[in-house]
Amino acid sequence: SSFKDDVSTNHQPFASMNFYDVDLPIQTTEDVTVSSLFAQPKELSADFSSVDLSFLPDVTQENKEQNLPEDGCEVQEVLDESGSRSEESSVLTEESSSSFPEARCPSPEESGACPSLTAMTPLTPVTPASEGSKILPQLQNIVSTVNLACKLDLKYIALHARNAEYNPKRFAAVIMRIREPRTTALIFSSGKMVCTGAKSEEQSRLAARKHARVVQKLGFPARFLEFKIQNMVGSCDVRFPIRLETLFLAHRRFSSYEPELFPGLIYRMVKPRIVLLIFVSGKVVLTGAKERSEIYEAFENIYPILKGFNKS
Amino acid sequence: YAQQQLVCEACGCVLAEGLLTTTYTDEGQLREVSYSQSTGQREQQSRCLQRGIRRVQDLCKVLQLPAVFEETAVSYFRRALQLPAFHLVSLEKKELLGGCCVFVTCRQHNWPLTMGTVCSLLYAKQELFAGVFQSLQQELGLSVPALSLADLVKTHLGSFRLLQRGADVPAPFAEDKEKLVARTLQVVELASETWLVTGRHPVPIVTAAAFLAWQSLQPPGRLSCTLGRFCKLAGVDLPPPAYLRLKELLEILLRMASQLAWLRVFRLDKKTVVKHVGELLQHRVFLLKKAFCEQGEEEEEEEKEQGAAAPGEGSAGCLPAGQTEQEQEQEQGCSSRGKRRGEAARRPLLPPCLTKPRKRLRTAAPSASDSALGGDDPISDSEIEQYLRGAEEIRALQQLKAW
Repeated sequence: SSFKDDVSTNHQPFASMNFYDVDLPIQTTEDVTVSSLFAQPKELSADFSSVDLSFLPDVTQENKEQNLPEDGCEVQEVLDESGSRSEESSVLTEESSSSFPEARCPSPEESGACPSLTAMTPLTPVTPASEGSKILPQLQNIVSTVNLACKLDLKYIALHARNAEYNPKRFAAVIMRIREPRTTALIFSSGKMVCTGAKSEEQSRLAARKHARVVQKLGFPARFLEFKIQNMVGSCDVRFPIRLETLFLAHRRFSSYEPELFPGLIYRMVKPRIVLLIFVSGKVVLTGAKERSEIYEAFENIYPILKGFNKS
Repeated sequence: YAQQQLVCEACGCVLAEGLLTTTYTDEGQLREVSYSQSTGQREQQSRCLQRGIRRVQDLCKVLQLPAVFEETAVSYFRRALQLPAFHLVSLEKKELLGGCCVFVTCRQHNWPLTMGTVCSLLYAKQELFAGVFQSLQQELGLSVPALSLADLVKTHLGSFRLLQRGADVPAPFAEDKEKLVARTLQVVELASETWLVTGRHPVPIVTAAAFLAWQSLQPPGRLSCTLGRFCKLAGVDLPPPAYLRLKELLEILLRMASQLAWLRVFRLDKKTVVKHVGELLQHRVFLLKKAFCEQGEEEEEEEKEQGAAAPGEGSAGCLPAGQTEQEQEQEQGCSSRGKRRGEAARRPLLPPCLTKPRKRLRTAAPSASDSALGGDDPISDSEIEQYLRGAEEIRALQQLKAW
């Protein structure tokens, strides 16, 4: 679920954004500059889970009582690198480091306001900015397949397309690359195609269509059937070192840690069915997902486990 | 003159010779057929299985493993070979399968056999071995415990020629095995606590630790001996990462030495610190705590120093010689603060990959245009046409290919 409207517990970051009501100088989204909205180098389209809210004034106690009929307790967790912090028990808090453990979130009782009335709803469904971890895995690679539904002459394609290479002795498919989105496609004579290298589902679909369009322009009656995302790879950094040996001992059932073979620990999570590569530096790679939510869910599952080992 | 008679077990009736045979071919040759042949016992086992079992048994003998290991390994091998995952693989992989079974058995009994050893015995490529090992683990659902470094130290040092009595080793180099093992264990433990072991190959760490321990037991004659020479004397291979591990160990020891008041005056370096390894190991718990702070603590200390805007915040140093360039910069930047603090800097205890990142960390921000791309966006003809060859180009290419 991408919307988290639950205010029943403290320290819950909320994916939905709650602006104050009329009395405060609220800027509408159009007024907010693009640069502040997209302050983070994270994989987001037009969502607001990492918006820089520093333009909103600090709320003092007097202010709050006068102006706020509601929303006293909801907090937008901001993965902001600007380093500024507001120390008050105000609603808006910024985190300057993504590993900051606790959210400064006043409870409903504290502010005396009633919870969960969103003054403004986000434009698109928001990706969960990880309650608890406040780290969002970034998608690094998407592998998708599509059926062009016609037989292809690979030699012809290699001759007539600039961006295609074909070495039948090495591999029985044409390797085609396009610049935007930067992707590689494997095109087989049966008409099946594999597209790799995109950083989002949308990009992968667009890229696959472009590759198909090249094939079309070469004169083949290519169609675009059964497009499917087959695998998604994400990565992130928990920002603290991890004792892989201890993790291995505690989770033998799911882990494979062989420093003779590979420096990372391979964790095969059952639900969701994702494989995680965990390294001593705290960097984590997640793969095997068919949907983005599986990556986020897998990371949410592993984060408390990793955090647990950090304490010791 | 004796003739073979066949007697019925049930009634004792003696059959005439030639009336009952075990295989019809032998009837012609009047030869006895052995039990295993007549029951087809060996035929029931494929030649592949038989060969594999024999290989497993040979491996166990070469490695001088206890008998029970052989039984376990053979049973794993039998089970594995029945599974389609192993039945239909290349011969090369089947050859490795036996070695994998032995390896898994050893690990389960905490017998410190390394993959490197098994691979060299099988003349196998480590990548291939790794693949077979991982499949074996998954298919048979085996739980393979981690390699115990302590056990590895004991076995590895056991093979050192240097420690064997009667070996022709120059006097200052000979060492008592028990002493060396004990000190090496301590050094390896120290390495483990200071993040030098996680994710790294175990053998180079043991080699470097053994060298350091050996040098420190009798520094006078041994400080001039290099790691390479030590390995030659010991009769073991020098694994390339051992040099780096040694360097890292010495850095840790130097940091610890900086916390011992009576050692600080000596201004130790990488060579001279070896003489004091014994002391440092003795007080290692205390020294580690003093020399390194927790990761969170460092941030707190940095916050307190928010006054100065010098680049190297929060880590002023009065460290002895042997610092890296980075540390020296910071020292120059905050020497005043350092004097104020009056003690050596505490840096967080982190794995080397974090303190010395080799890669330029890419803060890869996807371009705004990329993020805004939709899967169903229109595609312009011109964009696609840039990828198509013109007629001239094609003609030229075809002429080229004609050659």
